[in-house]
Amino acid sequence: MRKRDIVLMAYNNLWRRKARTVLTCLGVLIGTASIIVMLSIGIGFKQTMERDMARWGSLNIIRIHPGMSYDEYGNPSGEEHRLNDDTVSELKNIPGVVAVSPAFQVHGEARLGRKNGWLDIVGVDLDTLEDLEFSVSDGRLPTAEERFTIVAGSQVINNFWDERASRMGGFHQGPPPEQDPSELLNQRISVSIFNQSNPEKRKNYNFMVVGILDEKNMEHAWQVFGSLDDIKRIHEFMVKESSGSGAASSGGMITMSRVVPMEKSVSSKRRSKMEDTRNDYNFILVRTKDVAQTKKVSAELRERGYNAYSMADSLEGIEKISKTIQAVLGGIGSITLFVAFIGITNTMIMSIYERTREIGIMKVIGASFADVKALFLAEASLIGLIGGALGLAFSYLVSAIINEITAEYMQSGMMGAGPPGNISVIPVWLAAFAVVFAILIGLGSGLYPANRAIKLSPIVAIRNE
Amino acid sequence: MKPIIKSENIIKKYRMGSQVVPVLKGIDLNIYPGETLCILGTSGSGKTTFLNLAAGLERPTKGRIIIEGYNLNKISEKNMAAFRRKYIGFVFQLYNLLPALTALENAVLPLIFEGVPSREREKKGRELLKQMGLGNRLRHKPGELSGGQRQRVSIARALINNPRIIFADEPTGNLDSKTTVEILKLLTDTVRENGQTMLLVTHDDKVAGYADRIVHMVDGNIYNGNAN
Ligand SMILES: Nc1ncnc2c1ncn2[C@@H]1O[C@H](COP(=O)(O)OP(=O)(O)OP(=O)(O)O)[C@@H](O)[C@H]1O
Ligand SMILES: [Mg+2]
Repeated sequence: MRKRDIVLMAYNNLWRRKARTVLTCLGVLIGTASIIVMLSIGIGFKQTMERDMARWGSLNIIRIHPGMSYDEYGNPSGEEHRLNDDTVSELKNIPGVVAVSPAFQVHGEARLGRKNGWLDIVGVDLDTLEDLEFSVSDGRLPTAEERFTIVAGSQVINNFWDERASRMGGFHQGPPPEQDPSELLNQRISVSIFNQSNPEKRKNYNFMVVGILDEKNMEHAWQVFGSLDDIKRIHEFMVKESSGSGAASSGGMITMSRVVPMEKSVSSKRRSKMEDTRNDYNFILVRTKDVAQTKKVSAELRERGYNAYSMADSLEGIEKISKTIQAVLGGIGSITLFVAFIGITNTMIMSIYERTREIGIMKVIGASFADVKALFLAEASLIGLIGGALGLAFSYLVSAIINEITAEYMQSGMMGAGPPGNISVIPVWLAAFAVVFAILIGLGSGLYPANRAIKLSPIVAIRNE
Repeated sequence: MKPIIKSENIIKKYRMGSQVVPVLKGIDLNIYPGETLCILGTSGSGKTTFLNLAAGLERPTKGRIIIEGYNLNKISEKNMAAFRRKYIGFVFQLYNLLPALTALENAVLPLIFEGVPSREREKKGRELLKQMGLGNRLRHKPGELSGGQRQRVSIARALINNPRIIFADEPTGNLDSKTTVEILKLLTDTVRENGQTMLLVTHDDKVAGYADRIVHMVDGNIYNGNAN
């Protein structure tokens, strides 16, 4: 028998019993749709979480801070590493690492025209800015050839306020109004840096803002970034022990910078043994090829004793949650589809009872086992296909409705997080998988009836009664 | 001449609960190529049972049937359909057409199972139905045809793939006498024209008159010539 004839015959047989076919297909439709929608929610959840996380720090970047790494029981793992050039070259040699930039971080009072404020300045290797996923919404990135040019995070402008304006306005009601980040572009900011051990000592530096970072990565939103060399010099001045006062600074002003331990300055003997780490980098940024590499390298670094952290590390938890959600929701959908499976089987068995005579005639006339089986399987698969395809269409509708409804809730709930992610996402693979699965369900549920049809004895079937 | 169908000591018994009912009690029968043989017998004598065995629809309790040199006992259930499709055409008392299909579709059903392309089989079916006098009933469903017309469709179906053998079980059992004559003439003439062999089964003397040779079946036994 030709395939075309099998499908045509199966189709005609289904069409003969419209009501029953429609009801059976409806079962498959609901089953498929519930699986698709349930899984789409799990997928949407994961995607939304990943996107939200990417806003708070790139998933491809690892930060290494001074200090040690501790395992889950609080025991130190590996040995402590200094953040110096040796470390930088060690990091560069780790497979999967694309770029490494050491960083100094300083902090000072700042003036921008009439406005006062403060500035958190990070010096990085400007050649690696693009690799570290810095991108501007306005202006450009500073280059390594320049001196004292910076690119500012999108929120930096909100570190500044106009004292006269606020004095005139009296008390503020609520938070200060948001300021336009592009106000900073091509402006000069002057910063006063204090020596940590002697706050009497201070130096002024002038910076030129050449670009404003976009809002993709909120981790950078409150900082400005300049050349490593410039900031290194400022940092040196900041941590230099002032000759006058022997007392060690508490270093409270810059939380990120390494605090000189007490005993170092107290015992000169020990000082010679212990290394002076004051001029070590404040932290190091490591860019890896992709999220998978980030997770791997990040774990590896911690094993070596580095105090390393990446946003990607938290992904695992989210993936676990999303998998659980998908399993639970998918399970609910599967039950529905299983009911549909029974529905198809039932329909096909009924249809065999009705068509006992027909099947017998076909066999007498020369339909082979394969023909009879193919006919029944084709009918069952067609139900699966029709139900699955309609179920898919229905899922897109339901998914759109879910997203529409949740979008309304989210808009009021999440502040300034941009457009809310879709809570239900149907990727192409899920759509294809669902339809194929529905067909297989049809095929599977047709197996038993088809085998029964084969076993029907033709004479019993054609006996004149 | 070598028989095309050879029945050797066919015995068929049915088990009814604890009872065993002997239906065929040792049938020896030769049917020769090109002849139309009629098995004449009263109701319940075992005619249909014999036909079913000869068509491989049922297995004998004992004995064997050889068609075209093939021992039916040796052909598996699975291959029997292909065997029937190739060698045997069926005409039933109750037509046994598929109600959902048109006259044309019913007539070409064996060709569909054989995998003949639709254009080719439709052409064949249309020609044959025209020959059966149904040229203007091609698209009718069985329910929209008279008994005689239905039997013509069923004859067309039996002949469509030009089998060597036709089995006809009471082909006119449900028809009035005028139609009976028409159908029997059509059937026997066509079979003779094609040089096919036909096994015709009936309880009606008049029907038997259209055959070349008559054997009698009485209570599960075959008698040549006059029976009593
Ligand atoms: N499957 C079966 N189980 C038990 N007995 C059967 C079975 N099939 C046929 N018989 C018996 O075999 C006998 C012959 O039946 P068969 O149908 O061959 O008769 P027939 O000659 O074709 O009669 P009719 O002219 O009425 O069609 C009957 O007595 C019937 O009861
Ligand atoms: Mg009979």
